[in-house]
Amino acid sequence: MQHSDIGNDLLTIIEQNCEEDSKNWFYEKLGAIINNQSVREFYLTYSLCNIKFSGETLSGIQKSNGDFIKYLLQHGISHMQLARIALLIRVLEEDSEFFEEKAKNLIQVADKGELETFLRYLILLPNSQNFRNVAVEALRTNITAVFDAISQNNPYPSLFFNDHQWNQMFLKAAFMERDLGGILDIDTRANEDLARIISDYAHERWSASRKVDPEIWRPTTNFLQGRLLEDMKRLFESNDPDYRSAAALCCYHSNKEEARKLLNEYQDLLIDIENGTINWENFKN
Amino acid sequence: MKEKLRFIDPHVHMTSRTTDDYQAMAAAGVVAIIEPSFWLGQPRTQVGSFQDYFSSLVGWEPFRASQFGIKHYCTIGLNSKEANNEPLAEQVMELLPLYLHKDNVVAVGEIGYDDQTPAEDKYFRQQLELAKEYDMLVQVHTPHRDKKSGTIKSMEVCIEHGLDPGNVVIDHNNEETVEEVLNRGFIAAFTIYPHTKMGNERMVEVVRKYGSDQIMIDSSADWGVSDPLAVPKTASLMLRSGIDMEHVIKTCYRNALDTFGKSGRMKEAHWLDNTGVDQRELYNENSVLRGQKPKVDTDKIV
Repeated sequence: MQHSDIGNDLLTIIEQNCEEDSKNWFYEKLGAIINNQSVREFYLTYSLCNIKFSGETLSGIQKSNGDFIKYLLQHGISHMQLARIALLIRVLEEDSEFFEEKAKNLIQVADKGELETFLRYLILLPNSQNFRNVAVEALRTNITAVFDAISQNNPYPSLFFNDHQWNQMFLKAAFMERDLGGILDIDTRANEDLARIISDYAHERWSASRKVDPEIWRPTTNFLQGRLLEDMKRLFESNDPDYRSAAALCCYHSNKEEARKLLNEYQDLLIDIENGTINWENFKN
Repeated sequence: MKEKLRFIDPHVHMTSRTTDDYQAMAAAGVVAIIEPSFWLGQPRTQVGSFQDYFSSLVGWEPFRASQFGIKHYCTIGLNSKEANNEPLAEQVMELLPLYLHKDNVVAVGEIGYDDQTPAEDKYFRQQLELAKEYDMLVQVHTPHRDKKSGTIKSMEVCIEHGLDPGNVVIDHNNEETVEEVLNRGFIAAFTIYPHTKMGNERMVEVVRKYGSDQIMIDSSADWGVSDPLAVPKTASLMLRSGIDMEHVIKTCYRNALDTFGKSGRMKEAHWLDNTGVDQRELYNENSVLRGQKPKVDTDKIV
């Protein structure tokens, strides 16, 4: 999704979609910020985008213009958010050495809406890996909208989080009852430590007679042995069809022979998987 | 009768209050509140403490309020007490522009005089200029000591700096100050304190005497002895004392909305169109609950 000319692509979208007054104001400010290296103007412009651009969702642009535009549309980016992101990206493209710390300060004082915007489109920033600390900090929030911005349908964590950070995000998403299916690259980022933590988490929940989101089991797929295999048996014997489906999917995709053997005992589920009735993609429907 | 009324508390320091207060306020009909930035009791010694406090007023606290179905706004400013630490005050003044444009910031406040020192005067004036530059409302804290002359001075300074009195809320009024405030065209806010200053019985008499134009009621509830239900309780007392419903609605809801609504950031639709507490909003846009009833406050660690 990252490519070298994102800043100009975003300016083109602004040019084609935003109000004349807003655009002119924006271009003028952008020029002044870049030419004068003005931090005050940078902060002021970022802040004033709130007033100068509409909060309406951007619509009517061609989806075929590349992955990153699809990403903007998928997240329902507004005119105002577009302007803020374009501003950040353009100044960083011009002089990342000077503006990177300034951008971080701006994030430090962000309100909820600004933080959501920043986290959601972090991936588009030049050298976006340099902003990893901000992204990881967002995992500590209990504000659901902020947590969702980094964790839901966002490629950033998968690309830049280490296992510890990834696991922290996944568990917290379960804990906050977020949509686990909305986390990208669950299979590729699965790891043994996470599988163990998931089992521990489920046991704690069961002890307290609380429900466990069945999708939580997905990362355990290739680690189904010992206690995790016992967990699968427990899920298969459950009365909840979602629990049974989750166990079946984990076993079906597992590289552990014992797990696949276990699934053979539940032919109805095996058939459902083979004919596509159940899979992780349609799991929540 | 009380259940049908909606209330706005235009001055309450929720940072210092518990979730019990939020629950009680929501149950009593409080739909929106304004939290002025103020002195936290313990004087701050670092600008970072201000930054995190302001960030909390535009981030965490509105979220916390939303969990109880209450819409949270705030005012941002350097309070009068801490204006006396000049080296620190200078740094806070640099910080303010970064916050004045946040989504839930409806005014510069609460600013004004405490001991009426030269430093307080200096930063009060600088913030009035800031309000003018940003075309924002101002919420003025009036001093507890030497109140009447401090209140008059506050208004004179606002006029001197070219502010429209209709865009300035003079807070913590009493029977001694109200007439001057109303006559000069400013908005008069009354803080209903338990035991001290303005009790709510006195407030009933103020409304009986001055009516409800340009007048609003608040609790200023904070870390001290105070009552976050002061607005609904006073409304109830006014009705029982035979004050017209129209006056009650204006002083406990409408005037606050009309005044702070001028910021463009406070809108009645924010609570009228609200579907309920956060969990229900999430339910609408998120499939995690898969058709179950949304859980409200039962299974969620906040």
